[in-house]
Amino acid sequence: MGEAPLLKELYAQYKDQGVTVVGISLDEDIKPVQEMVISKGMSWSQVLDADKKIRKLFNVKGTPTYYLLDRDGKIAAKDIPFKKLSDAISELLKK
Amino acid sequence: MLQKSLAQLFGSLLGLVLLVTVSTRAQNAAPKPADREMERVQAMISEAKKEAEQFSKSGGQAVDANNPNRKWAETLWSYRRKHPGTPATTLATTEALRLLVRADRVSEMQAKADTLKLTDAAWKQVITVLLGAAIRKKDYTYFISKAETLAQNSIDPELKAKARFVIGEGYWRKGDIDQARIAFQTVVTQYPKTSYGEEAEGNLREIEFLNVGQPAPLFERATIDGDPFSLGSLRGQIVVLKFWGTY
Repeated sequence: MGEAPLLKELYAQYKDQGVTVVGISLDEDIKPVQEMVISKGMSWSQVLDADKKIRKLFNVKGTPTYYLLDRDGKIAAKDIPFKKLSDAISELLKK
Repeated sequence: MLQKSLAQLFGSLLGLVLLVTVSTRAQNAAPKPADREMERVQAMISEAKKEAEQFSKSGGQAVDANNPNRKWAETLWSYRRKHPGTPATTLATTEALRLLVRADRVSEMQAKADTLKLTDAAWKQVITVLLGAAIRKKDYTYFISKAETLAQNSIDPELKAKARFVIGEGYWRKGDIDQARIAFQTVVTQYPKTSYGEEAEGNLREIEFLNVGQPAPLFERATIDGDPFSLGSLRGQIVVLKFWGTY
């Protein structure tokens, strides 16, 4: 949440290099999510996980939790702290 | 006749409602002694936190003798000795041990934990403190032996389940995947339909299927704008998945 502006910067920096962000909100209601997405200008895809299925698939225990996937859809990093994300992305881009 | 007794019944019901209301008010006005004790311990904990923050801001190191966490651990532990067996005591006990870990006094913490009886209500939280200490020191021996004792010998089913579950977490952190799997599997089998059972199941799936290098699970669903979305369609791109919440 507090990282939203930083993630926005990261997204702007990398989106033209084949990097995308998917937000998975664990909220139960869609409305506050839609409002925050607009107010913070998060322009990447957002889905709602009200039925808890996606968080179970990824065994997510709390928020925020980041997963990084490579171009083949394989897990490149899990539960990675935000501050390490940029370096991990640059590494993947070199491959 | 019937009317009269109904009126009496109504009258006594009204009286009862009034009585309940008045006594609830009285309770709200003056907190119960147990609540006051809880507040007292919580006040100690927040004071300890404040002092520890100042100490660390001014360059103090965890191991330093004047780390305020040491002093507060003593204070909370002596609270325990003077007030055995209350919820406030449970909190004081857990925090005393936690502060000792923060002050890098792990063997002192262990010596104190050794004095807790198997039936001590604090164990449910203390076992987590022991896991934290093990992770910090990268030495799981003490934690695993204590948790094993609780998992086997406690008479409280919830504590047994929790102890077995945290053993799994400990082995997992330690990198002993086989033992972690055994512990989580035991939790799933012995404590199905509990929160520990469900979490253990999630951890077992993670151990098998969510490792670096494995294909990420795929999902499809509409976005919050109503557009179709499928993770699989992003093949060829690097993807950051962020699980978050507005709360």
